[in-house]
Amino acid sequence: MLTVPTPSVSERRDNQTFEALLWALSRPGRPRTLPEAGDIPLLNALVDRECRVHAADPLLIPAVLKTGAAVAELDAADHIFAGKLRDLTVLERIQLGSDLYPDDGATLVVHVDLNTGPTLRLTGPGVDGNEELQIGGLPDSFWQRRAEVMRYPTGFDLFCVDGDQVIGIPRSTEIKVL
Amino acid sequence: MTLSALTKPWEAMSYGFLDGSAKRELRRKMLKSVAVPGCQMPYASREVPMARGWGTGGLQVSLTLVNPQTRVKVIDQGADDSVNAASIRRFIARVAGTPTTMDTLDADLIQSRHRIPEEILREDQILVLQVPNPEPLRPVQPNMSIARQMHADADYGRMWLQLYEQIVRSGRVMQGASYPSLVHGRHVMTPSPIPRWDVPKLNMSKHLTILSAGREKRIFAVPPYTRVEPLVFSDVPYKVEEHAHLTCYRSGTKGFFMNEIPQDDSTSAYEVSDSEWGVKAIRQRESEPVTIGETWYKNGEMPE
Repeated sequence: MLTVPTPSVSERRDNQTFEALLWALSRPGRPRTLPEAGDIPLLNALVDRECRVHAADPLLIPAVLKTGAAVAELDAADHIFAGKLRDLTVLERIQLGSDLYPDDGATLVVHVDLNTGPTLRLTGPGVDGNEELQIGGLPDSFWQRRAEVMRYPTGFDLFCVDGDQVIGIPRSTEIKVL
Repeated sequence: MTLSALTKPWEAMSYGFLDGSAKRELRRKMLKSVAVPGCQMPYASREVPMARGWGTGGLQVSLTLVNPQTRVKVIDQGADDSVNAASIRRFIARVAGTPTTMDTLDADLIQSRHRIPEEILREDQILVLQVPNPEPLRPVQPNMSIARQMHADADYGRMWLQLYEQIVRSGRVMQGASYPSLVHGRHVMTPSPIPRWDVPKLNMSKHLTILSAGREKRIFAVPPYTRVEPLVFSDVPYKVEEHAHLTCYRSGTKGFFMNEIPQDDSTSAYEVSDSEWGVKAIRQRESEPVTIGETWYKNGEMPE
């Protein structure tokens, strides 16, 4: 009889992280709790040597290299850990995929301050009617520029991280700044 | 960097059978498929100890999602006790140590072959559907590169033509299972060969549905609260199977999707396809304590 494998510490953490990410992305605007704060749990759960990662914070580079991923420029990366956004450069250069392969659109992880800043109204798949929330700490006109650069089904998918809270905003979500 | 930092402790088997890189790839693709509802995302589809075409796609998704607390239910055409369902359930329990259940209400993760349970799924439940053929355009365009271009262009005219031809030839839409459906107003998907009866259950549902085809190496998803509209002409309404008036000969339950069982005298008996629903109805009839969830169909009708 086989003994049942038990998840290792890292396996358990990656599983919990992904559960939070999947839930967050399927219900845009509703925060979920990550097992650890910051970018590291996302990095470990999603990224490996098949990925090209751009990290704005040089202190994150050792962790990226440990996953085996290649470090890439903004316009070549499929996972972007942008930290706190100061300007909109990332939106100008981010990979959006193509109509043929929308999955080539990048995943962008930014640090935000939840419950401050402008009130947003979210509609789209995963949102029952509409959802209102506040996301602060992003540059002005971030949401407007996001809508301008993306043409569904191309686009990028966004995770907003505040400590151990994460909010997922897929490309299918339409956002109105109130 | 030390050697020990690059390795990990020895394990007889990875938790949940799949190795880390397989899981991470599936996680990335699952996120992308949720972000673009109904769009088929290619993925590697690793080997699992089961023949391709027997639920390997669904199995890989389940193995990525489970942890030792996930309560798993597996059904095959509505039944928990068929060979395919029983072996997949046992396999998941063996490699991931998950508790299993047959009750739809108790389950956290439901892997299903070609049915959606009759009881309404909650927000915290995930439905994983096994998909044999993920490409709705295949009957009208066998070349998959051209089919991909048609999806990119939202060029679905031939799907309508196919339905029109069926109506002209036969007087009604002949498509039984895997009825082509438009997701979020953009991508046409096949909802896996679930009967027409089950397609409305995907529309604006509370739960997340992930559809995975292991042999064809494609994954797609229907997030909660997403429009799933079967392709219909405005003057030919969508019709589900006429099972509303049938009564299950074993449990006496009425107004649900039935399996037809041919009898020796060339008549048919019917039994309810969702086996656990039948079991619950029998338990209730025998006054045993049983929790019955709200169902999608009420008196054989899907409320608007």
